[in-house]
Amino acid sequence: MHHSRLKPYWMILPVVVFMGIFIYSILNTLIQSLGILPAAGLNEWTLSYYQAVLFRGDLFPSLQLSLYFSVVSSLLAVILGVLISALAVRTGFTRKKLFQIFKVPIIVPHLVAALLILNLFSQSGIISRVFYQLNWVQSPQQFPSVLFDPYALGIMLAYLWKEVPFVILMVVTIMEKIDGSIGEAAVNLGASKFKTFYRITLPLCLPTIYTSFLLVFAYSFGAFEIPFLLGMTSPKALPVLAYVEFTHPDLAHRPYAMALNGIMVVLSIMLTYVYYRIFKGDQKAKAGGGYQ
Amino acid sequence: MKNVLSVVTLLLLILSGIGCSQTPTPAPSSAQNQSFESALTKAKGTTVNFYGWGGDERINKWIDTQLAPNVKENYDITLKRVPMDIDQILNKSLGEKQAGKSKGSMDMIWINGENFYTAMKNQLLYGPFTQDLPNYKKYIDQNSKEVQYDFGYEIKGYESPYGKAQFVLINDSAVTPETPKNAQQLLEFAKKYKGKVTYPAPPDFTGSAFVRNIIYDIVGYDKIASIGDDKEKLKTAIQPAMDYLKELSPYLWQEGKTYPSSIAQLDNMFADGELVMTVSYNANSVAGMITTGRFKDTSRSLIFDKGMIGNTNYLAIPANASNIDGALVVINAILSPEIQASKYDPKNWGDLPVLDNNKLSSQEIELFSKIPLGKGVIPQDQLLSKRLPELPADLIPVIEEVWQSQIPGKK
Repeated sequence: MHHSRLKPYWMILPVVVFMGIFIYSILNTLIQSLGILPAAGLNEWTLSYYQAVLFRGDLFPSLQLSLYFSVVSSLLAVILGVLISALAVRTGFTRKKLFQIFKVPIIVPHLVAALLILNLFSQSGIISRVFYQLNWVQSPQQFPSVLFDPYALGIMLAYLWKEVPFVILMVVTIMEKIDGSIGEAAVNLGASKFKTFYRITLPLCLPTIYTSFLLVFAYSFGAFEIPFLLGMTSPKALPVLAYVEFTHPDLAHRPYAMALNGIMVVLSIMLTYVYYRIFKGDQKAKAGGGYQ
Repeated sequence: MKNVLSVVTLLLLILSGIGCSQTPTPAPSSAQNQSFESALTKAKGTTVNFYGWGGDERINKWIDTQLAPNVKENYDITLKRVPMDIDQILNKSLGEKQAGKSKGSMDMIWINGENFYTAMKNQLLYGPFTQDLPNYKKYIDQNSKEVQYDFGYEIKGYESPYGKAQFVLINDSAVTPETPKNAQQLLEFAKKYKGKVTYPAPPDFTGSAFVRNIIYDIVGYDKIASIGDDKEKLKTAIQPAMDYLKELSPYLWQEGKTYPSSIAQLDNMFADGELVMTVSYNANSVAGMITTGRFKDTSRSLIFDKGMIGNTNYLAIPANASNIDGALVVINAILSPEIQASKYDPKNWGDLPVLDNNKLSSQEIELFSKIPLGKGVIPQDQLLSKRLPELPADLIPVIEEVWQSQIPGKK
């Protein structure tokens, strides 16, 4: 037996195991959403749970809310992240030790981010108290309530705090490299700094920017803790709706939760496909444009 | 090679899990009526994994510093507390059942109400076991409705009483001299302190109890109880209470457009002064909150004239528990006057005892009567005279759904 020939297979084993568990849970979700849960006495295949979920009044408001805050927060995160990266590269700030501070929010869990926002922005929070002490508001209640609000500002603040640094992490190294090599060449050939950024650096960074948008979007669309802690009672974000169904005391209700999860899975797959198309189109465009 | 083996084993386990989820699992074992003495011997030196709600630091501390050392000293049992919400406990239990795991990770669980109903319906519990416990036979009033029925569902020996809870409102007499005695006065109170009153959104356990208490006050407990199991009739009957909650909502925190998602958030906002009222399903919790300095000295419990909802909470043993003997011994110990008294002490937990006072000796009664009750608390006899039973477990989600569809965000 040749050890070396087997080596690659051994090395991908962890990934295989991980993917196995992942695919198993997705399959399990889909099976349960189709009404198969023997432990709760459900043994018949049916689409009735999807039907019930699709026709319940709160699905579309929830879906709308989830799409709204994940699209807006991800777009803002990407725009801010790219702008900060560009500024940091231009000013040489990336080489300073202090710049590494942007990594802190990436390490902090989302749950803690939600509590941080809660402590800062609630009406009994730090900012409201400072305003009150400075006599800018007559009582802490006058402080505008940015949490639990219909515009999901609290949720988006928490996501921005987490995601802007993530976008920076993804973009800044590549941007620095391009700026240092091709960018410099362009400047030497007489392009203005703005033109260099707009025509050279930014287009070359686009694949990374798309990827980071997709990652950030997929996370905020599917994650539960931040909308649970900072969202309104109604409408609930889609994952919160699924959680409430999942924790329904009647186990026969489980397929409803799984049908909601199934809808989220389908939407995520669709969005990934769209991303894949955009990404491929971009690759082709670039090949045609002769950058590579 | 070892790694590969473990990976293969893991894959096999996963695959066997897939297989098992397709086949029905056998019914749980029934109690073998073994003698308690043999359980005592077998339980020596073992560990009991106690799963239950862990959201109250004082309860956790009582289990860790009073209950656990007691069973270690008397029975040589290590009690391991695992904090977990009951819905997750049931999900875990169901998961273990699906996977056909016969030696489960949970030995003893804290449960009641709709969750007990669900656990029984899905055959997740071991039993009947209460008749095996000497202290159960000695100290518990077995004719009491609260010992026979849990939220209207017959217990049949699958649960042993752990503590008694009763719902109260809490405000601070230094901030709000008013003591609302019914739902109407609560509405006046909310109007006066506009934006500073609210309650947790159901399905939060305490928020759901608040809504039921309002239903009792507006519609009347007897009227609701007489409906029985008819969900449609229930929906019609509770409508006046829903109308009241709609009328109340514009005066609530955030103008009732949204509600706190948990009781912990409500307590925090009350402690911060963002709210002037909180609620609790533990009638004595205010004393403990004052002792730990979270609430002001002038905080106090309030009850409605028509009465407040109360329940008994219980301990049960999962059908696939690994250490049934240990769990039996610990549950028996919890039914002793010493442990119940230590639990009753507001300094520790302040939970109402479950023992029958008529069955206690005068010395045992003294264990309870010598405990100072603490600040802001309503005496036990007054609470018991205003105690209303819980509704049948399967009706509670119906009320929660009605609330969810009518109250939040609807203006």
